[in-house]
Amino acid sequence: MIVFNAFKKILWSNKVMIIIYTLILVLFAGFNSTDDKSQMNFSATKPDILIINHDKDGDISKSLIEYIGNNSNLVDLENDDKKIADALFFREINYAIFIPSSFSEDFENGKNPKIEIKSSKDYNSSLAELILKNYLSTASIYRKEFKGQELVDIIEKTLSNSIEIGMTNKLDTKKLSELADYYNFANYSLLAGCVFVICMILTSFKNANIEKRTIVSSINYKKFNRQLLLSNALFAFSLWLIYIILSIILIGKSMLTVHGLLFAINSLIFSMCTLTIAFLIANAIKNKEAINGIVNVVALGSSFLSGTFVPTEYLPDGVLKIARILPSYYYIDNNNLIKSLEKFDFKNLYPLIMNTVIIIAFALIFMAITNFLSKKNRKKARL
Amino acid sequence: MFLHNFKYTFKTLFKNKSLIFWTFAFPIILGTLFHMAFSDIESSEKLHTIKIAIIGDSITEEKKHYDTFLSSITITEEEKLFEINYTDEKVAKKLLDDGDIKAIVDLSDKTKITVKTSGIEETIISQILNDFQKKEFMITTLLENKVKDENFDYANIDSIYQQLALEVSNSNYLNIEDTSQKSMSYTVIEFYTLIAMACLYGGTLGLTAINKGLANMSSLGKRTSVSPTRKIKIVISSALASFIISLIGLALLFLYTIFVLKVDYGTDITSVIILACIGSFAGLTFGIAIASVLKTSEITKTGIMISVTMLGCFLSGMMGITMKYIVDKNIPILNMINPANMITDGFYSLYYYETRERFYYNIISLLIFSLIMILLSVNSLRRQRYDSI
Repeated sequence: MIVFNAFKKILWSNKVMIIIYTLILVLFAGFNSTDDKSQMNFSATKPDILIINHDKDGDISKSLIEYIGNNSNLVDLENDDKKIADALFFREINYAIFIPSSFSEDFENGKNPKIEIKSSKDYNSSLAELILKNYLSTASIYRKEFKGQELVDIIEKTLSNSIEIGMTNKLDTKKLSELADYYNFANYSLLAGCVFVICMILTSFKNANIEKRTIVSSINYKKFNRQLLLSNALFAFSLWLIYIILSIILIGKSMLTVHGLLFAINSLIFSMCTLTIAFLIANAIKNKEAINGIVNVVALGSSFLSGTFVPTEYLPDGVLKIARILPSYYYIDNNNLIKSLEKFDFKNLYPLIMNTVIIIAFALIFMAITNFLSKKNRKKARL
Repeated sequence: MFLHNFKYTFKTLFKNKSLIFWTFAFPIILGTLFHMAFSDIESSEKLHTIKIAIIGDSITEEKKHYDTFLSSITITEEEKLFEINYTDEKVAKKLLDDGDIKAIVDLSDKTKITVKTSGIEETIISQILNDFQKKEFMITTLLENKVKDENFDYANIDSIYQQLALEVSNSNYLNIEDTSQKSMSYTVIEFYTLIAMACLYGGTLGLTAINKGLANMSSLGKRTSVSPTRKIKIVISSALASFIISLIGLALLFLYTIFVLKVDYGTDITSVIILACIGSFAGLTFGIAIASVLKTSEITKTGIMISVTMLGCFLSGMMGITMKYIVDKNIPILNMINPANMITDGFYSLYYYETRERFYYNIISLLIFSLIMILLSVNSLRRQRYDSI
C-alpha cells in the first residue's frame, strides 16, 4: 500500500496536465458531433453554398435557388465581405453565389446577366460549380423554346429526372464515423497525458536519493516493482474508463452496440500499450527535464503520422509506410476498420485481430527493451 | 551586475539541452511532420481513376451509348476516369462488398446504380450518369416540341436531331465571374500555429531563468535572493537573455519554414517580424508569470506551461484547422484570451486580408496579454519573505 500511496500523491500533483489533455479530447468530441440525424441511405456529397439573392421576385432565381438547395447545403450568412471571406477560407462554405437584381427578367429575354461567385477552390467547390452550371446551361437551352411558367416547369422536370441509387451498406455511418473520430483523437490524449504522467511518476521514484532509500527499506524489491506496475496499470485503466464514459456521454447510445464494444476493446489494448511506452521512456531517459520533450515528440509525431489529426485517406502513401513502425498506426487502422464493419464473421474480423496482435507484440517488445535497460542500469549502479 | 547576470543567464540557458530542444529543435521537427502530413491534403482532392462494374448481360440496345459514353471519359490524355469491369450481378455484388469497386451500374431497361457507402467518388458517378440522362431527356423534349410545329420537316429529322444533340452537349453558361481571392491554401494555418507554439514555448526559457532567482526553488535561488542586487535588475536581465535566445530560435524556425518547407507568410515581411517579436514577448511574460505565480516544482511548472500551450494551439487549429473557425464563430471569447490564437490570427490576417485592422487588433491583444502577465508576476515576485524554506 505504501507504494500506492506515494503513487497517488505524485499523481495528484500532476492533475492539471491530465485535466488539460482530457479537456482537449472533450472539446474535440463536442465540436465534432454535429446533429443527431443518422444516415443510412445514399446521399450525394453536398457542397456548402451561400446564395446572396438580389432578385427576390424572379421566377428563375427562385427555381435556381430551390434546385441548388436540393443538391447542396444552403448556408445562411450575413452579406459581409469579411465574414464570407473567412467562411470560404475555413471551408464553412465552398461556394458563394451572388444573383444580380432583375436576373430572371434579363435571362428570359436572352441576355446573359453576370453572376458573381466566390469559391474555396477545392473539390467541393467544383461540385458546387457543376450544380450551378447544370441549371444555367439547361435553362439557357430551353429559354429559346419556352417562356414564363412553362420554362420553369420544364427545367424542373428535366432536372428532377434522376437515376435511382441503391446503397448496400446499412450501417449508420455518421454516428460510427463520429465514434471513430473520437477514438482516433484519443490516441493523442492517451499518448500525451497518460505517458507523460506515468513517466513523471516513475522518474520520481528513480531519483537517486529516493532509490537508495527504497533499496535499504524492508520492502522486497520484487514486491515494490509489482506494486508500482499495478498502480500504473490501474491509472491507465482508470483513464481509459473515463474516456469510455465520456464517449458515451458525448456521442450517445451508438457506443452501446457491438461496434462500441470493439472500439472500447481496441482502445483498452492500446492504453496498455501506452503503459509500456511510458515504462520504456522512463527507463531510457535519465534526465527528468527531457521527458516533457520526448513525450511531446512521441505523442504529436505519432498522432500526425498515423492519422489522428489528418484522416488517413488524405495522408501521402510514403507517410503511411513510415507510420507502420508506430503502434498508433495499427490502433487507428483498427478504428477505421470497425467504422465500416458490417458483418462480424471471421473474414471481416481477421484484419482487426491481426492489428491487435501487432499492438500486443509492440507492447511485448517495449517491455523486453525496458527489462534489458533496467537490468543494465542496475548492474551499472552496483559498480 | 546587470551585464553579469545577463551573460551568465545566457550561457546557462544555452547549455541547458532540454530547453534548447524545446525552443530550437522541437518546432522544426513538428514543422517537418506537418509538411509530411499535409503535403497531399490539397492535391489529393484531385480526381483519380474510379473502378466500377457494369452488369454485362443487362445492357440493352438503347443503352449501348451509356457504356460508350462512360468508357470515353478521361481525366488526362492517358488516364481514364472509369475502369470498367463487365461481369454478372453476383460477381459485381461481391466485388462491391470487398471494396474492389465503387459502384455497380445496371443498364437494363431502367438505369440503376448500386454503391456501398456515400462518398465523393460515388457522387461523381451519379453526377455523370445523371447529366448524361438529363441531356438525353432534353434532346427528346426539344425534338417533341419541334414536332408539334405544323411545318416540321420530317425528312430532315436525323439532321435536326444531330443539331439538337450538338447544341445540348455544347451548352454552357459563360457569364460567371470568379471574384475570390488567390490565397486559399488553408494548411498554412497549421504552420502559423507552429510559430505561435514556438513563441509560447520560448516562455520555458523565461520560466527557467526566473526560477534560478527564486529562493523557494533552489540553493542558487536562495543565494541570489540574499544578494544585495535589486531584484528588478536580476529579473530584467534574465528575461532579456531568455528573450534573445527565443528570438534566435524563432529566426531559425522562420528560415526553415520559408526556405525548406516553402510556407507562405504573405508579402509584408516587416509586419511578420513585428508580430513574431511581440508574440515571443507574450510567450516570455507567460513563462515568467507561471514561474512566479505557481508554487510547485520546476518540472510541473514546465508541464503546465506546455500543456496550456498545447490547449491554446489546439483551439487555434493545430490539430484540425477548422477548430479555429468553429471556436472563433461559436465561443469567440475563448480565442480572444488565447495568446496562441492571437499570433495565429495575426499571421492569418497578414496572409489573407488586404486591410490591417485585424492585424493591429491582434498586436494590441498580445500587448494587453503581456501586460497582465507582467502585473501578475510583479505582484507575486515583490516583497517575498520567508520565515523558513
